[in-house]
Amino acid sequence: MIYRYQYGGQVYEVNLERHAGGYRAHIDGQTYELEILGEQPGQIYLNFAGRPVSIEWAVDGTQRWFSMEGCSYILEKPAAGGAARRAETGGEQSLRAPMPAQVRTVFVQAGEQVEKGDDLLLLEAMKMEIRLRAPYTGRIRRVLAAEGDTVERDQILVEIES
Amino acid sequence: MKTFHKILIANRGEIAVRVLRACRELGIQTAAVYSDADRTALHVRLADEAVHIGPAPAGESYLNIERILQAAKSVGAQAVHPGYGFLAENAAFAEAVQQAGLTFIGPPPQAIQAMGDKTEARTRMQAAGVPVVPGYQGPDDEDSLQEAAGEIGYPVVVKAAAGGGGKGMRVVWSPDELPGAAAGARREAQRAFGSERLLLERYVPLARHVEFQILADAHGNVLHLFERDCSVQRRHQKIIEETPSPILDEDLRSRMGAAAVAAARAAGYVNAGTVEFILNPETREFFFLEMNTRLQVEHPVTELVTGLDLVQWQIRVAAGEALPFTQDSLRQHGHAIECRLYAEDPQNSFLPATGKLLRFVPPTGPGVRVDTGVSSGDEITVHYDPLIAKVITHAADRTACIHRMQAALREIVLLGVTTNWQFLQDVLAEPDFQTGQVYTTWVEEHFSGWKAPQCDLPPEVLAAAALTQFQAPGNGPAGTTGEDPYSPWRNANAFRIGE
Repeated sequence: MIYRYQYGGQVYEVNLERHAGGYRAHIDGQTYELEILGEQPGQIYLNFAGRPVSIEWAVDGTQRWFSMEGCSYILEKPAAGGAARRAETGGEQSLRAPMPAQVRTVFVQAGEQVEKGDDLLLLEAMKMEIRLRAPYTGRIRRVLAAEGDTVERDQILVEIES
Repeated sequence: MKTFHKILIANRGEIAVRVLRACRELGIQTAAVYSDADRTALHVRLADEAVHIGPAPAGESYLNIERILQAAKSVGAQAVHPGYGFLAENAAFAEAVQQAGLTFIGPPPQAIQAMGDKTEARTRMQAAGVPVVPGYQGPDDEDSLQEAAGEIGYPVVVKAAAGGGGKGMRVVWSPDELPGAAAGARREAQRAFGSERLLLERYVPLARHVEFQILADAHGNVLHLFERDCSVQRRHQKIIEETPSPILDEDLRSRMGAAAVAAARAAGYVNAGTVEFILNPETREFFFLEMNTRLQVEHPVTELVTGLDLVQWQIRVAAGEALPFTQDSLRQHGHAIECRLYAEDPQNSFLPATGKLLRFVPPTGPGVRVDTGVSSGDEITVHYDPLIAKVITHAADRTACIHRMQAALREIVLLGVTTNWQFLQDVLAEPDFQTGQVYTTWVEEHFSGWKAPQCDLPPEVLAAAALTQFQAPGNGPAGTTGEDPYSPWRNANAFRIGE
């Protein structure tokens, strides 16, 4: 059985098969012998290529979390079309919410001219005030959030064209 | 002397749990309060009873004086413990609790009021002979500023009188730099706060934040329980705290301690509080910064080195007990460090992260203490401070304590939410930290371009991912129910396995 996971912008593949009472995993041209020594919900204790290792794990929707020796890893479903992750920024034309928050004040409206650095929105989250400012001078194309709205991370709030 | 049969804890999260534990140990019944978001929170589950006080936003629940007082009366509590944050330093709340015939476990409302007003606090401190940061606030024309700066002594910092947060601030090292700096500061201040007014303060380079724990009873005894060094900060938020401070010697400790006690007396203080100082490590000068009229987040490090339970003493003092120990009888034993584990996304400017705590296994072992208000399955939401846990270690000396902390952090299992775990480890590993040479702007200077290093994905983890899926496709210990059995994880050629 072949499984593919995305991690850190790259796609990894592992081919797992049963073998002699345990398993074999083919990863990146190498073959590893495995045996499950013990298991509990959220924890797997393995003998991996002769070395015992304990790994904690949990699944949340499309994210699979793993923790081994203090380091944690988030494995996701490979994005359609290969290794591309979702865009890190909202792109040049849309301003996105950096985190889940509530919209306190909207300073602009569609059609308005703004200068780089002008306040566009005031968000509030976790007792912190977050000011969203115009990343460049331009014109507001659309305002997609209103005062009092609760917004999600990455939700588009304002579209600006230069 | 009063007897408390029941105490209402007007807070949430880890401090509510902390106070609850102290009450239990004293045989006092506990009543918790909770908002919609905290219905199944740890502090609610641990309390003997709990009262719902409103919707998730703090303003409608944990900050609502009416609802909290109503809750206290409805359960028949004799006293209210405010924790830290929320209403802890709200003089009106303290007053209201007393008016309702209950005991406020904290200082008198007048002390909260006096120390909450920065100008009032400074005035009292000066009158009590406690050194304050030399400063000037008056006519701010160029001549007046030059004269004032000369009196304060360079370097000085020019600040906007109308606001803070670093806006309208310029450090000036000599008189000829002053006019340009003042002009620039004025422009920025005008834009940020709508006011050009400036004030001056002595600038303390490489300053360290050293605070003293105060404990005072209602019988006139005011003691200090030594210091905490909180110089590891980012954006004025403390990340790591420790005691003893690596740069204090006995003489400085005793002088600062005496100043802290004088400050507390000048404030008419009773119960637990903290006097914060700014320390110039080179000149060994220290200046009063402010007094926090509540228990602090970092109180555990003091508890571990002194062997005193501060929350229990808060309750006892509020009940009228006299402190049975003297300043001379108090000692610091060993070294303690606290690391604050926050739900933060280092890849997203360290802004708070939200999500479900799928699995949280705190570290344990000798000299390892964890104060937390969350457990596996809890949601970290936008409504409250994203503190997941305080990890505190205690050992015979500073080096052993750092190693203990590094090992304890490596044992943590935390799945489901991004945290500052890696950042904490990187700070602890820095030579400057290990030699005790950090100062309040150190983190910003040394970690400005810091990005969480992506650990290489070990084949063991890949194998575990495949194995756990092979056995139970699409599900996990905290997996969502009703998930698509045709797992999107599969290779298009794979056949269905089990269900």
